[in-house]
Amino acid sequence: MAILSSNESLLEPSLDKARHVKYWTRCLKTYLPNQYTGNDSNRMYLAYFIISALDLLDALKTVPSEQERRDHVNWIYHCQHPNGGFRMWPGTDFGKLSNEKNAQYDPANIPGTYFALATLLIYDDDLTRVRRADCLEWLRQMQRPDGSFGETIVNGRIEGGSDSRLGFCAAGIRHILRGRTSGSIDIDGQLIQDIELDAFVGCVRMAESFDGGIADEPFHEPQAGYTFCSLGALALIDRLNRPNGHDVKETNGPVDPLRVLDWLVWRQTELTDPDAGLDTELCTDEDAPHTQHAEGQHIPKGDKGDHGMPAKQSPDKTVGGSMFDLLVDGAGMNGRTNKVADTCYAFWVGASLHIMETPTLCDQSAARRYLLGKTQHGVLGGFGKFPGDLPDLYHSYLGLAALSLAGSDQVKPLDGGMCLSREARERLPTIWKSWRVDA
Amino acid sequence: MPKYADDPTWADIVPLPTDEGGPNPLAAIAYSDDYSETMSYLRAVMAAKEHSPRVLDLTEDLIDMNPAHYTVWLYRAETLFALHSDLRAELEWLNETALAHQKNYQIWHHRNLIVDRLCGEEQGVVDEEGLWKAECEFVEQMFERDAKNYHVWSYRQWLVRRFGLWGPVELEFTERMLARDLRNNSAWNHRWFVVNGRAEMEGDGGLGVEDPEVRAREVKFAMEAVAKTPQNQSPWNYLRGIVRKTGMSLGHLKGFAEQYASLKEPDEVRSSFALDLLAEVYVEEKKAKEAGEVLDLLATRYDPIRKHYWQYRKGLLGVEGAAAA
Repeated sequence: MAILSSNESLLEPSLDKARHVKYWTRCLKTYLPNQYTGNDSNRMYLAYFIISALDLLDALKTVPSEQERRDHVNWIYHCQHPNGGFRMWPGTDFGKLSNEKNAQYDPANIPGTYFALATLLIYDDDLTRVRRADCLEWLRQMQRPDGSFGETIVNGRIEGGSDSRLGFCAAGIRHILRGRTSGSIDIDGQLIQDIELDAFVGCVRMAESFDGGIADEPFHEPQAGYTFCSLGALALIDRLNRPNGHDVKETNGPVDPLRVLDWLVWRQTELTDPDAGLDTELCTDEDAPHTQHAEGQHIPKGDKGDHGMPAKQSPDKTVGGSMFDLLVDGAGMNGRTNKVADTCYAFWVGASLHIMETPTLCDQSAARRYLLGKTQHGVLGGFGKFPGDLPDLYHSYLGLAALSLAGSDQVKPLDGGMCLSREARERLPTIWKSWRVDA
Repeated sequence: MPKYADDPTWADIVPLPTDEGGPNPLAAIAYSDDYSETMSYLRAVMAAKEHSPRVLDLTEDLIDMNPAHYTVWLYRAETLFALHSDLRAELEWLNETALAHQKNYQIWHHRNLIVDRLCGEEQGVVDEEGLWKAECEFVEQMFERDAKNYHVWSYRQWLVRRFGLWGPVELEFTERMLARDLRNNSAWNHRWFVVNGRAEMEGDGGLGVEDPEVRAREVKFAMEAVAKTPQNQSPWNYLRGIVRKTGMSLGHLKGFAEQYASLKEPDEVRSSFALDLLAEVYVEEKKAKEAGEVLDLLATRYDPIRKHYWQYRKGLLGVEGAAAA
């Protein structure tokens, strides 16, 4: 143990930036593997991952050519719906065969719209081709009487879930297209009403769980992704109660920010093996297998050690000077109580803590070591979901985003609240100024 | 190998390929020929708003390759209803599809729709009890594969509300799930819902844990779980949830927590969650010094990964102490 210096940086694996750029370049310039077919209807968010990742790696100005950049932006606008909002993909657009009767099968889509606008912003587009008034009018129609947002509107019916992922995207659309102006605004002589903010806040407050986390709906199990989306949406509409805030307002959410904070910090965990059983109780130091502690070692799935339990199950595991193991090992985040760490939750949790203005209450260094030492893919670049997994777009993007928030200087600074580079978000005030809305 | 182009059943359809609008589309996928063809035929029949038996085959084919397609599900439901199709056969098909696509949300939404329709349309005819029992059984089958599947737990809650299954049978189900894995937080959450959901969501009886008898039963249940697995956060959270909801004093749990962690025996801590609870008990008792000591134990020995958080909590002690004084 003594040979390990207390200087943490010596132990921290580094980001293999060149490999990540290569991974994302491949995603941009070649067809995505056939396995993405199940995500065909989610292409706009795949597009956002690709463009934003290259931006975070500072490669967006070099990897695509000028012409390619123009083509990409045109593709996004090609997905814009004639009545406002964007589609998630061109697959529902019937082109010349479009008519009033089949229009119901070709709706604009809330996440599709947020990811389209975010990607345009990252590409430094001035958003002048966005049908802004139509989009904001459509956004209003996407809100249900209970305050929640749907995914699409079909035959006058709001379809899709009612969870905070959609609420976050709706708040993001509102933020990008009307800044911090609340109430009705005038766009080219057309008066556009605001969404119902109080009702939306009510939805989030209702979905707070007995244990402090936030779920998609009342009484469902709290989950870090929904918690992020809830907090993020509230921050975007300036209705967030923060733990360090002097007064917790009833017109804001969450009801009890300190409890949400508590739930969030508990998400950090040293459990990494998804196949390890969790049914064995407290092991003492002597019988805890130390197989997971070796530096840089990828844990093969199914490797449960001698006792069929994860090595770090015990709270007194750290008794007896195993702090050094901890430094080497790292600790990621899980999405729900008693689950193992997963790359994407390093973002959902890390970003939630950022939004709450308490980013350092988790162990950011351990989070970086988890990402860089365990789920970063050494050959292909990108990040997998679990240690040893092949990379995919979703985890590769959120892994980079999480690293930035956890203090890595190898990735551009990220705006946790919108999940894009700060540089991209800082373009908004200029755009808002041109629209004469509050920044 | 064209599947539809060579099939006389589809000879009248002119396939409608997707228009990407120009060169260099983003996130383009290496589709199989099979998928490209199926999509082109689907787009053609959707554009024509055809509702026919062959549409059911086509949507089934497409959903199998791309279950996240959001309007194809609506189209399929419309077609099923227009044709007065056998909705039980639809549920059978959904069973297979759900097992094949564990993480898909649309499948469960569609299932809600079908079950609702079965009960609505065939009201009086349909054996509702048989239906929900079969649904509950299917849910348990799904849990054999993944006992924490979020969509499936959400669907289970929907079944409870839809068919009023708030009774002891559902409680026994949570016990069965927890007997398999006492750390399954989804099962704990479901128990909380079964015990408290009716009072809050239906407003037609029951007080949940605010009923003294229910509270005693639930406290005992959680304490027994802690005894078996002291370092399991779920039952600790459950206990604290009861305390918070009923407004009972945290002090009631002090003796219990001290069985697992106490300042008198700082080397014998059996649960970091017991320490966390103890810190809050001391705060309630306005014993800032003891609370600080407990938080120090967490920060330095028993939960150093959250060191900064425990220090933050310690920082709040002064604030709360000042407010109390």
